[in-house]
Amino acid sequence: MVDALQFVFLVIAAVEVLTAVLVVTAKKLMWAAFWLALSLVTMAGIYLLFQSEFVGIIQIFIYAGAVPVVFLFGIMLTRTRAMEDVP
Amino acid sequence: MSGHLVDLFGGSNAIAVFLITIINFILRGIGSLPLFGFLNPLADWLGTEPVVTSIAWLIAITIMITWAAALHLLTFIWLERKLVARLQDRRGPMITLRKDRYIGGTGYLQQIADALKLIQKENITPKAADPWMFHIAPAFLISTTIVVLVALPFSEGFVVANVPAGLLFILAAFSLAPLAILLAGWAQNNKYAMIGGMRAAAMMMSYEIPMILAVIAVVVLAGSLNPIEIVNQQSQLSILAPLAAIGIANWYIIPQFLGFFIFLLAMLAEQERIPFDFPEAEEEVVHGWLVEYGGMRFGMVYGFKWLRTFVAAALVALLFLGGWHGPVLPQEIWFILKIYFVFFIFIWISWSVPRIRIDQILNIGWRKLIPLGLFNIFLAVLVVHANAQGWI
Repeated sequence: MVDALQFVFLVIAAVEVLTAVLVVTAKKLMWAAFWLALSLVTMAGIYLLFQSEFVGIIQIFIYAGAVPVVFLFGIMLTRTRAMEDVP
Repeated sequence: MSGHLVDLFGGSNAIAVFLITIINFILRGIGSLPLFGFLNPLADWLGTEPVVTSIAWLIAITIMITWAAALHLLTFIWLERKLVARLQDRRGPMITLRKDRYIGGTGYLQQIADALKLIQKENITPKAADPWMFHIAPAFLISTTIVVLVALPFSEGFVVANVPAGLLFILAAFSLAPLAILLAGWAQNNKYAMIGGMRAAAMMMSYEIPMILAVIAVVVLAGSLNPIEIVNQQSQLSILAPLAAIGIANWYIIPQFLGFFIFLLAMLAEQERIPFDFPEAEEEVVHGWLVEYGGMRFGMVYGFKWLRTFVAAALVALLFLGGWHGPVLPQEIWFILKIYFVFFIFIWISWSVPRIRIDQILNIGWRKLIPLGLFNIFLAVLVVHANAQGWI
């Protein structure tokens, strides 16, 4: 029998694994950065579920607010074409 | 210090119990019929404790969103239009329902007319855009702002969740928006939108650090990350007691004037208001990252700015102006008055000064505000130490 907390944990964990797989398989690099941000936010959800609020909020602060922005900057500064031509 | 009017969670709990009593009455009435006996266990389940609490949470969140994101958002847009019109020697919007009073109308219905117009428009997706990201990014943007309201208190009772590290939660959720703006700018596949998104991200890197430094100084003074506790500290007369004689007691604007200044500038940048509005500067990058959005989607990404303004004004009032602390009037009224006062300062600044350049914000952020913020933390530690030693 699965209680409510376990059910929530399973849902969050499933979302996290799914987004982590999508980070690797995404065709566009921007999407990979977006999935990475989502994966890290769900990780903060797991921390919150385990009653460690401070770690969870710091996780959102740093790994969802700051790190993906730096990644996106990095992607845009490389030689990959960030924009596409109109077909 | 007077009491608070609203006990949000208690009130929501009462409403939930009332609704469930009515529904159970109906369910048991139907359940007494021969074929509908299966409804009785459902009625029993609805009356149990976890269900009542969950419904009370939902009602509390709904009330909070209606209060902030409907009532005050509309009032803010209306007030900004009217005040800007006054500053520019115009009259501003004047739509009323009564045709004969066209000249003297207040114009409050203008926002509703605009929203009705935008809802009717077609949702256009550009051919070259990334369709999924194009549609996800506005939702991302708005949800990160609305989630702030969960931890934002309006008085001791008018708060959805009294989180121990609530201030940190508010700032964390608030700082997610530049990522969404960058993604929105990229997804439109338009060079102006892309430049706007890049500018938003570059600006975020320059104002976010001074903002956090200013907040750290306040946290050092208050010794807590809980917004309610910070406001309570500002209503006590422990630090800088001599200043209590002039009536504003212990608001952190007195020992932390530098921090107040830095935080105000950072909040202006956070909302992309005019001295810092180059991510959507219409003369340079034709509204930047908003350029391809149309219809109600444009209304959402454009109108959410005033929700961020509301949260920013509430944060300034909470951290530096004593929150809901004030004589005679109830707490909620004091807090709303302070929010509108801060909002008036925002409008006044943003429509009186010209826009600065993108390289200037990086200079201001990194070379001026960060050293000032560090000095401000030093001042805060000095005040706390002097207070502990009994010097003041």
